Amino acid sequence: MLLSLIILYVISLVYVAMVERFRSYATIIAFQGWILLGIALLRLHSLNWVELSFVILETLIFKAVIVPAILMRVIKQTKINRINTSGRSQFNSLMLSFAALVASAITTYYVADSSVHMIFFGVALYALLSGLILIVLRSRIFTHMVGFLVIENGVFLFSMAIGVEMPILINAAIMLDILMSVLMLGLFMTKVGSQIHTDSSDSLTHVKD
Amino acid sequence: MIYIFFAIWLIIGAAVFIAPSRRIVHLLCGLYMAVHALFAAMITFGGNYLSTSGVFFTFDEAGTLFYLLLGVVATFVLIHSQEYLKDDTLGNYRKYFALLILLTTSITGVYFANNIAVTWILLETTTLCSAGILYHRHSAQTLEATWKYLFVCSTGIAIAYLGILLLCSATSNSSLNYADLEQLIVQGNPLYLKAAFLLILTGYSCKMEIFPLYTIGVDANFAAPAPASALISTGLVNAGFLAIFRIYRLFVHTEVFEWVQHVMLIIGVLSLGVGALFLRRTNNYKRFLSYSTVENMGIVAIGLGVGGIGVWAAVFHVVCHTLIKSSLFLQIAVVRQIYNGYRINRIGDYININKVGAIGLLGGMVVVLAFPPSPLFISELMILKQTIASTGWWLIALIVLMLCVVVYSICFRVIKLCYQPNQDELHLSKINRRLSHSALSLLLAAIVLGLWQPEFLKELITRIVTF
Repeated sequence: MLLSLIILYVISLVYVAMVERFRSYATIIAFQGWILLGIALLRLHSLNWVELSFVILETLIFKAVIVPAILMRVIKQTKINRINTSGRSQFNSLMLSFAALVASAITTYYVADSSVHMIFFGVALYALLSGLILIVLRSRIFTHMVGFLVIENGVFLFSMAIGVEMPILINAAIMLDILMSVLMLGLFMTKVGSQIHTDSSDSLTHVKD
Repeated sequence: MIYIFFAIWLIIGAAVFIAPSRRIVHLLCGLYMAVHALFAAMITFGGNYLSTSGVFFTFDEAGTLFYLLLGVVATFVLIHSQEYLKDDTLGNYRKYFALLILLTTSITGVYFANNIAVTWILLETTTLCSAGILYHRHSAQTLEATWKYLFVCSTGIAIAYLGILLLCSATSNSSLNYADLEQLIVQGNPLYLKAAFLLILTGYSCKMEIFPLYTIGVDANFAAPAPASALISTGLVNAGFLAIFRIYRLFVHTEVFEWVQHVMLIIGVLSLGVGALFLRRTNNYKRFLSYSTVENMGIVAIGLGVGGIGVWAAVFHVVCHTLIKSSLFLQIAVVRQIYNGYRINRIGDYININKVGAIGLLGGMVVVLAFPPSPLFISELMILKQTIASTGWWLIALIVLMLCVVVYSICFRVIKLCYQPNQDELHLSKINRRLSHSALSLLLAAIVLGLWQPEFLKELITRIVTF
């Protein structure tokens, strides 16, 4: 069951590289939230109920509901639906994503060790690379935000790999999620949208040398 | 003990946020620094030095040294900020001071944290506080800088967290305490340790203002009000340095330490190179000073990379840089009041407008360029000496070449500010020479350190670098 969820998570990361509609991004982020909830339930059931409830509440309410809802609201506000107005193929992005997947698998294979949960490590690495690919390849600020959320989810997944032994790490990851994502999404929704053009990161060029 | 102080500082911060007048804000800031003075006295004279407080904090040598420096810089920053922001609305004014207090408190926590997760959480908190300070002017430029700062810092911190998870997983350590990690890390898989170090270094580089995420520190200093930049460019940079230095210390007894030193060396040379390059290019005095920070932190990273006496020199360099750079940022705050801008190509004739300020900048130029009697002369000489011993002349040639570019760029720009004809409108009524004098005192303190290093300071740094 755990493996199935992780495979679904990997598929969602591949899908992130293919889609070009903002609504699809928001749906994937919500989907990842639900998968993380499932993994948390399966993986961390031995934690005491207070810590487990905290993790579940965070993944369910925050990752699966609030963040996607904010993303949807941003889409409604900005009225921008696609990452490319020309509807250009996502072939390059997909190929890069596959390359990242292969690189993550090879790295994981070569550093295989009993001390680290390899599957979690490999998937977290792939999530990190997927997020960075999104941030680097796409020109729209919204996609950069999604790239950051993908990285966050990947890190959160890896923290669950060792969370049974180290619940403090899980709580720390949750703190990161709540603090940063809320602040960034809040800033994005209330300020960036009105003062900076959210349709392109090219507008973020006033602060430079 | 430390939790009580944290609670007091947070209460003062909250009180500043809702203070009904500027006078109350000033009183609360005074109270805040008085509590810091009491805290410092309790650590140094109250028998708490080297003790652990509240499980997650230890008053060790490195933390104490940088905390004392933070106390000095924060006091100056709070005083200068009162004059710098006197025309602001009350709401903005108290928000700025509340955030400054929260930032100083978070940095204090980073200095004393003995747990890798706590260090990371508090570094993240500094991002939140800094972001609020960056957005102080509410302009499109500051919003852009704030957005970039939040985005890059958050991504960086998330990457660092991945590294921390990997490190803890590889060492099977559940307490996340530095002391425990030091014991267990020797058994870790070298590949994991290398990956963990790279991830953590990349993530924390946004705080220490070194390659690869140095840009964000430059943007932060550019957007923040100049006195706050003095704190960001010294106190916060030192927090990043200390976070990386504690990780560096963990690796000393591992088999990958040589590799770690090579990485530090490469990062150091790249940071120095980037600093040298952009010191030539930029047309803004605040960004110019920020690139000088990147360049200096590059030298520090080289010191850590070459090892030996270079590590001692690196810590000493950070200590002296704190005094020098805060002095320069506070001087540039006075410049801004007069010219209402930082444009290198337009503003000038400062020597005739504010002699004390010009002397502070020219003196700062000499000291930051590591000419005697600058304390940086001692640290850079030691680092170069160790570089020759550890690597060879080719690296020295490269470093010296880049330092020549730095010397030319800094001299050219500071002399321009003092002597080129001014083309911008002047606001002479805003000159406050007392602030120039006060900033000069920090520079004089640095020069004193160049001429005479107190025995206790040498001893303290020696203990910090004894692994």
